[in-house]
Amino acid sequence: MKRTFTLTTAIAALFAASIANADEIRVLNWQGYGTDADWATDAFTEATGHTVVHEYFNSEQEMLTKLRTNPGAYDVVLINASFTPQAQAEGLITSIDTAMIENFDDVSANMAENDDLNAGGALHGVPWTWGLTSFAINTNTFDEAPTSIEVFWDPDYNGRVSIRDDALEAVQFAAIATGQDINNIEDLDAIQVKLAELMPQIKTYWGSENDWNQFMAADDLDVATIWSGSASRSMAAGLPVQFVVPEEGAIGWLDGLSIPTSSTKQEAAHQFIDWMIDPEFYTRWAEDGAPASANAAAAAALPEDAFNRQVLGDPEVVARVQFQRPVSDETREAYLTMWQALKAAQ
Amino acid sequence: MSTLILKRLGKIWLALILFFLYAPILVMAFMSFNDSQYYQLPFEFSLRWYQDLAGNSEIIAAATRSVLIALITTIIATTLGTAASVALFRFEFKGKRILQVLLFPPIAIPWLITGTAMLIFFFGIGLGRGTPSVIIGHVALALPYVIVVVTARLATFDATLEEAARSLGANSWTVTRRVTLPWITPGIIAGALFAFAVSFDQFVVSYFLSEPGDSTLPVLIYTAIRKGFTPEINAISTIIITISMAVMLIAARFSNFGGER
Amino acid sequence: MSNMLVKQDRLRIFGLLSPAYLWLTVAIFLPLSAMFYFSFLSEVPFGDAEWNFTTDNYRAFFETPTYAILLWKSIKLGLMVTLTSVLIGFPCAYVLAKTIQGRSREALFLLVILPFWSNSLVRIFSWAIVLRGNGVLDRTLNAILPFELDINLMFSTPAIVIGLVHSYLPYVILTAYLALQAIDDSLIDAARSMGAGKITILRRIILPLSLPGLLAGAVLIFVPVVGSFMEPRILGGRVGTYYGTVIEDQFVAVFNWPLGAALSFILLAVVLVILALASPILRKAQT
Repeated sequence: MKRTFTLTTAIAALFAASIANADEIRVLNWQGYGTDADWATDAFTEATGHTVVHEYFNSEQEMLTKLRTNPGAYDVVLINASFTPQAQAEGLITSIDTAMIENFDDVSANMAENDDLNAGGALHGVPWTWGLTSFAINTNTFDEAPTSIEVFWDPDYNGRVSIRDDALEAVQFAAIATGQDINNIEDLDAIQVKLAELMPQIKTYWGSENDWNQFMAADDLDVATIWSGSASRSMAAGLPVQFVVPEEGAIGWLDGLSIPTSSTKQEAAHQFIDWMIDPEFYTRWAEDGAPASANAAAAAALPEDAFNRQVLGDPEVVARVQFQRPVSDETREAYLTMWQALKAAQ
Repeated sequence: MSTLILKRLGKIWLALILFFLYAPILVMAFMSFNDSQYYQLPFEFSLRWYQDLAGNSEIIAAATRSVLIALITTIIATTLGTAASVALFRFEFKGKRILQVLLFPPIAIPWLITGTAMLIFFFGIGLGRGTPSVIIGHVALALPYVIVVVTARLATFDATLEEAARSLGANSWTVTRRVTLPWITPGIIAGALFAFAVSFDQFVVSYFLSEPGDSTLPVLIYTAIRKGFTPEINAISTIIITISMAVMLIAARFSNFGGER
Repeated sequence: MSNMLVKQDRLRIFGLLSPAYLWLTVAIFLPLSAMFYFSFLSEVPFGDAEWNFTTDNYRAFFETPTYAILLWKSIKLGLMVTLTSVLIGFPCAYVLAKTIQGRSREALFLLVILPFWSNSLVRIFSWAIVLRGNGVLDRTLNAILPFELDINLMFSTPAIVIGLVHSYLPYVILTAYLALQAIDDSLIDAARSMGAGKITILRRIILPLSLPGLLAGAVLIFVPVVGSFMEPRILGGRVGTYYGTVIEDQFVAVFNWPLGAALSFILLAVVLVILALASPILRKAQT
């Protein structure tokens, strides 16, 4: 660990902060996704003098809308890597000065060099967290965890299955089940057939982690898709669930922190991002349940038995992961139209 | 069947409906005292969500802000809406039908679309975001409800009453104040209650137009669902409902808006 | 006498109407006009996006059967919820207006609307807790009844209807109450003394006189229910896909405001046509 927020550095930083201007930075993120934890923002304010205000979005499209219509309103924004090239192309986000981020050297090289985060030939998003979209089982029902994604189509679990109500995720999920590349789907008909077969199995779609937890807690479901970070949180909260990465593979995603071009507090924004990839921040966050950190030093600082180390730290698991690439508007539309037709037929 | 039995049956029916209306409210309150974060049964009594709430200044500030915005919205929307209703009811003029039909788009078009439209437009004209913009949006969404409800009450108004008052020498201001207003008071109160409800539950407009860090309670709830909201939300809702109920019952005790009989 | 008053009246109409409609114009009509304009574009004109005028978004409604199927499903849901609310709400309003006396009536009147003041999402989640298998309803009934019952209404059309009726019932109770309460009791007494039966009084006096209120309530229920998406999505599960959910997707899942706007204006047009078709019938019933 290069830098920790010890008392001395904090005091030194306080002095520095009293000379420099104390800014109020505005962060745009999902609610409850790390950046807005009270202990994290308090520690940041104590160390730098800058205060943090949050605003939330409920979908990526909405995040882009907010960036487009509110120039100057935000200083740090969380963007999924598959949306970073679009945000960059529209001129919404600016390139990152990695020299201002001390912890950047510890970020895994493969993520720091990620093509999507480096859209436009320069780094536009600091790799922050990554995780999988796979599924979890209800351990009250299963004695042994299934190894195949086909469990979703198993008649034994008819009416006890759930996937998220999201066209892209549904299509990519079926792509994995039909052995296709999620970023280059060649046989869309096979996907439609596979999803049509899945529909009668489904009890409900889930929309948010909140729904998911309630359904699982009420024993409404046996098997349901879920994000790895959410699964670790649910397990930490004591729900009877286990995360499974089937032999067919899983969807991988990478979230980056970006700085809007219109931000007037670039320096404070860089400092905040630096704190967000700090191992000290991450190990504390992981106790409550967090996705995997893109910072190798932070990942290594986790206890041996931590979920993110056990499941996502396994190279054999990582080898089965297909990382999400950007999706064009046309493709997105096509998937949505197909998904809506499938749902309307129910 | 005798009238007495019918009356008794009617009261039972009313009681059943009230039970139906309050069932989820009771469950909501009940769950605020339940220990489980995921609303699991069986019930285990706990005050932890109230304790958590007491330390959660964000929720309390948001709830206070929501109540204030709803009160301001109610006052403006009820005043403007009642005036418009009187004009729509009392006078015949060209374009009246169109004005009435125009009340439907805000009700029919999902709030998400209206909210997005407001966001773009308010930025386009430089109004920007902040509490004034939120109130402008809330009043606009509440107005059609007030107008429809007050007009429905006015439709039962007996115009001969005004004529009679006027023939007895009352001027038009006196007629309005002493005859028309008392008659439509129940309608105005119902309209005000609707306006308050519309504003207090409105999240799209507040979501797009409030300043970061200044969010309202519905916005807090809607953005919390991705990760999951805790029964703290039930606790604050229970407190709000209890206070409103107390205020209303006191108001009912000391007023006579329910009518003359 | 009217000739002399015309100018004064005109001023008065203007004075009474303009504040409300000016407010609506700035905050709703102009923004919605912008949306209407978008519905004829190929792309949202943000930044340097390339766009052109097109009617494709409206054509999509006719070319993709999904939209029409779901709109019809939503209209049926709207009718079902409206009818249910009117049938159970009207007797309730009648009792409130005509049977209950004194101050308790005011208190009850307020109690009817109070559930409205709770957050709709919290309300829906509370219904979910009531309706699901092994939920509150299931446990309560099994505790009372001597035989075993397995009740799981969650994720079904009845669950959606229950949730929506609950949300909108106060509208019709209140508007019907306001109308019923205005009916002079002496009118009913007079009819009775002339030998009219209960049914006749209901059909010839009470229903016609309370119709404006009943209709206002029905419209306030039907119109928003057709575009609803939250209740169907959460309570309906697999069967909870409606027209409103499809519109929402155009804004949330993909960046296709033009299509979302076009679908919304089609919804508005269909709702207005239904109201227009219904109004002569209703007006006839009123006289």
